[in-house]
Amino acid sequence: MKKILATATLIAALAAPAYAQVTGVDAAAPFDAETGIRVPAGFKSTVFADEVGRARHMAVSKSGWVYVALRRAVDGFGAVALKDTDGDGKADVRELFAEGVTGTGMGIDGGKLYYGTNTSILRWDLPAEGAPAGEAEVVVSGMEDRSQHSDKPFTFDGSGHIYVNVGAPSNACMEKMRTKGSPGMDPCPILEDFGGVWRFDLSKTGQNQADGVRYATGIRNAMALDWNMAAGSLYLAQHGRDQLQSFFPDLYDAEASAELPAEEFHRVTEGANMGWPYGYVDPSVEGRVLMPEYGGDGKQTTDRGQMPLIAFPGHWAPNDLIFVKGDGLPMGYKNGALIAFHGSWNRAPMPQAGYRVVFVPMDEAGNVAGDWVTFADGFPGIEVVKSPRDAKHRPTGLAEGPDGAIYISSLMSGGRIYRVTYEGK
Amino acid sequence: MKASNIGLIAAVLVSGAAFGADAREAKGKALYEEHCAACHQFDGGGVPMMQPELIDKPRANGPIGGVIDMILFGSAAMKPTDEDYSNEMPAFGHLSDKEIALIATYVRTHFNNNGGYVTSDDVRDRRPSN
Repeated sequence: MKKILATATLIAALAAPAYAQVTGVDAAAPFDAETGIRVPAGFKSTVFADEVGRARHMAVSKSGWVYVALRRAVDGFGAVALKDTDGDGKADVRELFAEGVTGTGMGIDGGKLYYGTNTSILRWDLPAEGAPAGEAEVVVSGMEDRSQHSDKPFTFDGSGHIYVNVGAPSNACMEKMRTKGSPGMDPCPILEDFGGVWRFDLSKTGQNQADGVRYATGIRNAMALDWNMAAGSLYLAQHGRDQLQSFFPDLYDAEASAELPAEEFHRVTEGANMGWPYGYVDPSVEGRVLMPEYGGDGKQTTDRGQMPLIAFPGHWAPNDLIFVKGDGLPMGYKNGALIAFHGSWNRAPMPQAGYRVVFVPMDEAGNVAGDWVTFADGFPGIEVVKSPRDAKHRPTGLAEGPDGAIYISSLMSGGRIYRVTYEGK
Repeated sequence: MKASNIGLIAAVLVSGAAFGADAREAKGKALYEEHCAACHQFDGGGVPMMQPELIDKPRANGPIGGVIDMILFGSAAMKPTDEDYSNEMPAFGHLSDKEIALIATYVRTHFNNNGGYVTSDDVRDRRPSN
């Protein structure tokens, strides 16, 4: 076993030089005066658009139009199309669309622009320029909105399928919602219709959730999911459960409850089980830790659910994931993953954390190829976030433009879209 | 901060009523932090789009039953408002009348709210059995 580990370490060491260029933000560097954020050396950030509304996920067309889903309607519309026509890095044209709905999911596949409300997947023909026109076509409708974890972000495999996150309207599948002393239900009935990724065929319209296939399960809520085209596989980052100390003060102190459980980054094959609600990940324990609602003591493990590729710090809230083509970026970025962490609310009384975009170096086969680094931080505009409302901005959505520019959305302070470009050619 | 603490201690020393208010304050704060602060935050600021803030809140400055009912029955039982938060608040009816009164009082007298005190009798009156 030791020999295998040593060999693996050696291979990792040999592979390391190819990724040496990915260094992340310099913790000693100042925040940009205009944007307030910090990006790695050689990169530049601009405010692409301000006051766009509650911006969620985004998609960028080949012609450079940025389509942004809005969680709250602006003048009755649930999405906005933005374009920088004079090349100064700032959007100068705005067109609202998606009348009468609001949503989180946004994506482009096969010449169509897709939009995910909390109950449906809609699409329009992707126009060459500007916002889509006319009535949207309904690909899926009637998905249940139970408010909690009801957003429907999605991704495509490039082979005619859409993969939709159907979050669990629950924290830990307790019999009584978020109530101290209430045990976890086993089997968790929520997993029948929620708590997974459902796959639908894009050649059909007018589908219900039952027409789809439950592709993967045991997922509390995966706001961050993307198909890795190089590796040919789905990946996701899921939000871990809240409130370990609130419900189990004898097992978890404030510090443990702030750090646990880890936010999990997974490679997901068909039929995979991510383990919610029966277990969680504590990086200091080998295997998945049995959830206390299911009799766990903070140490006992369970074999239900797969282990993640990476365990990120607790409660950081991964809200979007994209694999970058990396054409406009330095070598080490090719095929790697950007993850937008919205930032925590469940670390109090300890300081909140997250509120950043990280980069995970990955090889062509979809293996993690090095340590993750911070790609952009400074969004809250304050050094220590005690209460989430104090954060000026919180990363939410990510998209890569045809020119390699990275777009980052924030739904706070009226809504903002940042644009990050590599200048150090 | 220190000066006001000294003032508070002085008030406690000279007044039995002040001592009662101080103990109620401490118990209310401890109960709020145990049962409410994880979601509504220690500063009452809530979490944008997920859990409401309690600062300058009409419910906490309005009729005495508003905060009590929210604690007793949870958010799903309340009349829909124009607020839109994704997380549902569970019912805390398993807490005692006194505990709920202390929490309701803490919320109604902190976070820029001036709704005033709530008694255990006020809570008992609003339980379904009454």
